[in-house]
Amino acid sequence: MADSDSLSFRRHPHPYSVDLVRWLPSSISSDRLLAAAVHDPAVPYSNHLHLLSLPDPSSPLASLQLPSRATALRCSPSVLAAATSSGSLHLLPSFFDADSAISVPSGAGFHVGPVRGLDCGGGAGGEEWVTAGEDGRVHVVAGGGDGRVAVRRVWDGKGMAGYEAARWASPAEFATGGTACGVQWWDRRKGDAVVAQCKGIWGHGTVTGIVHSIDIHPSRKHICVVGGSSGTIFAWDLRWPQQPIPLSGVGLDGTAQPVCESEVWEVLFDNYTQSSDIISSTSTRILPVMMCSEDGILAVVEQDERPLELLVEPCAINSFDIDPQNPSDVVCALEWESIGVLTRGRDSMAE
Amino acid sequence: MPGVPTDGGAVGTVVPFSREPGDAVAAPPVRTIRHGVAPPVSRVYVSFSSGNLLQVACLGPPIPEGGGGRGAQEVAVGRVVEVNLGGGGSGPGGADVEEEIDEAEMRRIQYGSVPAFALLQSRKNALADAAAMSRVPSVSEHAEWWQYVLEYSKTIGSLLGNPDSLPAFMIDDPKTILKDREKPTSLKASWELLEIFFVDKQLKSWLPERFVDWLADYDSLLTKTENTVYRTLTNFQKKLINLQIVEDDPDYWNGLAAALSVGWLDIVVNMLRFHGSYQLDQMDNRETENGLVEAVAVLVSTMPRMRPDLPTGKLGHCCKTRPDFIKALEKWRGQVNKLECSAFWIQCGHQKTRDGLKNLLHIMLGNIKNLTAATSHWLELFASHFLYIRPFTVGFEGMNHLAQKCIQLKPSTDNSGLTGLLGGILSENPEVVLAECTKSFGPWMVTHAMELLTADNDYADMMLHEERPNIGGISLEELHRLVYAQVLCSHSLTWQIAPTYLSSCLNQGLGLLEILLLKQPIQDNRLVLKTLEICRLYELGNVSTNIMKIGGIYHWKHGRKGTGVYWFQQAHDKVRLDRIALQLFENIGKSVTDDSFKKWEGLLELLGSDIGSAGGLEFLHRYRDFKRSLQQAQEGRTGESARQTVEFLIQLMRNPSTPQRFWLPLLHDSVRLLNCKPCPLLNVAETTLLLNKLQELSMAKLRPDFSNINLPNHALNSVRLALASNLARAILEDP
Repeated sequence: MADSDSLSFRRHPHPYSVDLVRWLPSSISSDRLLAAAVHDPAVPYSNHLHLLSLPDPSSPLASLQLPSRATALRCSPSVLAAATSSGSLHLLPSFFDADSAISVPSGAGFHVGPVRGLDCGGGAGGEEWVTAGEDGRVHVVAGGGDGRVAVRRVWDGKGMAGYEAARWASPAEFATGGTACGVQWWDRRKGDAVVAQCKGIWGHGTVTGIVHSIDIHPSRKHICVVGGSSGTIFAWDLRWPQQPIPLSGVGLDGTAQPVCESEVWEVLFDNYTQSSDIISSTSTRILPVMMCSEDGILAVVEQDERPLELLVEPCAINSFDIDPQNPSDVVCALEWESIGVLTRGRDSMAE
Repeated sequence: MPGVPTDGGAVGTVVPFSREPGDAVAAPPVRTIRHGVAPPVSRVYVSFSSGNLLQVACLGPPIPEGGGGRGAQEVAVGRVVEVNLGGGGSGPGGADVEEEIDEAEMRRIQYGSVPAFALLQSRKNALADAAAMSRVPSVSEHAEWWQYVLEYSKTIGSLLGNPDSLPAFMIDDPKTILKDREKPTSLKASWELLEIFFVDKQLKSWLPERFVDWLADYDSLLTKTENTVYRTLTNFQKKLINLQIVEDDPDYWNGLAAALSVGWLDIVVNMLRFHGSYQLDQMDNRETENGLVEAVAVLVSTMPRMRPDLPTGKLGHCCKTRPDFIKALEKWRGQVNKLECSAFWIQCGHQKTRDGLKNLLHIMLGNIKNLTAATSHWLELFASHFLYIRPFTVGFEGMNHLAQKCIQLKPSTDNSGLTGLLGGILSENPEVVLAECTKSFGPWMVTHAMELLTADNDYADMMLHEERPNIGGISLEELHRLVYAQVLCSHSLTWQIAPTYLSSCLNQGLGLLEILLLKQPIQDNRLVLKTLEICRLYELGNVSTNIMKIGGIYHWKHGRKGTGVYWFQQAHDKVRLDRIALQLFENIGKSVTDDSFKKWEGLLELLGSDIGSAGGLEFLHRYRDFKRSLQQAQEGRTGESARQTVEFLIQLMRNPSTPQRFWLPLLHDSVRLLNCKPCPLLNVAETTLLLNKLQELSMAKLRPDFSNINLPNHALNSVRLALASNLARAILEDP
């Protein structure tokens, strides 16, 4: 476990709301780069994607205007993608070259309303992006390399369920989650259909919740870890689809301690924190998971362990990302118009 | 409110408006709005949006039907423009602060002060609780209170900028008099002033020295038009580059005297070293002169100061206790006197050096005439009194008296907020202090400074906490907090911190908080969740239920049926769920085929396995189960599934929530199942139940409100036949 004394945290104030933040692959530049989706309510048309660099992310190196507030932001090794609250998708193949940006406009042919589920998967024919919106539609957007994209509708729920999260497991499978519909497992080989479904661990009857985020570990593609309402984090193993494993939650009996009581906005598997039980790495134990929440907590939760709080902020942490190349570093977007950079010190950590 | 344009005005003008050059003062400020609608504008609608936003809708004349206006040119016929009223600098958060602190910076300060304020309030409440428990406030706890306030004050002070991080006047380049540093703000200066005089009790014994330090940091802010020591030195600095012989320039000696009079000893010593007699080529001729300059420099740098310590780079000899200080001061004054009377002055050939140095010595000896001449602003004279004439000044009364004397000697017309604030502090008049804070710095300052004022001042405490009938029975403290909370609410990024302040207002805070929460936009699920989180923190269950209902209706209206139902379920809104169920029945009633039913799968999934919460939608869930099971049975997999289907059917028919209009379709769907099996699936009692229902249905058919479902005419008969044959077989099977 990381020693909490070796944490260093810096806040970088910005003059506008920072909604989402992601690390960019550092191969494209010698600097360490961040992408942030920002929004200034005082100025019209001020929804932007900013390219920032560390150690001083106060002024953007480049910026791209978006038609509305960004609701999802992901990057693949070569493309940065953002989805917006109006339902459009923007792909930037060569980071922040505004001319090469490809947009899929919102509307009847794509999404209408916020798209929060967005993820990049690498199929045989190149990168494919899955989008899942609150309008209940699921699309797979392929291409982007040659400046053209192919949008294919996988499902149109006609608003019967709203999706808030999406994640690829393999080139053929992905998971979605959303408003009270729990988590769905889609298999493209079986006619683009939902092959498994999990209602979550919000208990029965009146207690239900919204799934905000899903992560799937590349080495264990049959396990989803899910974060949602009421401080709930659970793992869903496809091999036992009827028995989700609680990691944190309010009002659960005993097994999982709630790390927070409010909305869990994002979850990611944390490669930096070593599982406390080395033998278990081959067993069914769930790997450590990092989460951020509305009540300002950034923590690592692990099955049957006390959660390790990395940050307790007075304001919400809306988004965070672990640097894939340097997993000791975490960047987060704070509600009070700032970006936080957390460095967990352990020198032996390989690049 | 729609406005119809008057004729005869300029094109595009809705209301004629003429700006007469004569009465520029009386004319209302004009804001230009770019609406992009081609003139003439036929209608204008104005409405308040959230916060300071005004929505202005401009509509052009209606395009005549079929007028062929399409295609030719896309001209906007109407547009809604949002106008931010707060942006003009005269917003409620505004006042003078905006000149030196921009809006984003002010928001940073507002965010940062929330945790400190909340911590102080919780400590206050804890102490009040403890006092209420034991009835007698514990002395030790009471004594600690000012330390809590000091901690709060330091936290907030650090948010306002940190000039201490760079020593105020550090010497880098030997020819630099004033070092560049973070620009001081009057907000920070005022905050420190309040902290010095109202909170920090550790300072009591060396308050005068602390004031001298304060002046060193903020001298540049005292006045915009009049001269100050800071300005004298800045001007001299500019001149210095072109000066060959500094000691011949009167500004050099004026600058030295000015700096010495307000105690900037490091600057004085540095400037003395500029003296020409230090230059190697002149050393021999001006040996005595140089000795005198150096002697003064040494005296300046060893001046006794009654304070525990000095920041690095500052000069003087610190004395911790009063007797030590008196002893050191006597000795030092003796040395100054001795130098003043020394015979070496006669040998000093340079007239200006002689006069200038003597002037410095007189300042050190506390000669009022020299001090008055050396200083520019009355506050500087005030500080010089502390340093050289009355180092033991204590108490507000003595200081106020001294301040009045200084103002008489150096009257000032350009009074910044700082002098007004200091006047209020020294005259022990919290009302004036608050008024100055409001005038110069706005609601943020007042709300947070009240804690400093009441830290150790019973009068201010009483004044701020007394409930006043003329302002609706609330106290001044609550009034100021409410005003500040309103300012926070008016911005969509800061509204989330307003609850902290509203919750500290006992009388009207909670009511306003409820209004604030209910007014938040519900379009975005994430924002709704953020609002609900605040409801949870303040245990406002009713408010959150209402927000969920409003959100549910919004999503339902916009076709996001699942999300709508989710919010209604969360709100336990049975009434609306039942209404929704009715709407859905209409839809399902029209198309009972299996394919179209699949459309509703997602929604039914949402309803959950436990249907208690779903209201009338409960039926849909059971109906789905029945349909699914029926399909399996008809595929002929097992006899078990057929049995289960029939069980679902019986459950549905028994359940009072099953609408009557579904009875016949349900039975009709099961006809094949009832007929095809060799052994009867229903026992006698079950069959009788179904037959009774069928009978009831036939009776209801006669009533006018009976809604017919598109089923073949023979449906009723075929069901009746199937049930009858089933009954016959069941009777035979019955033991």
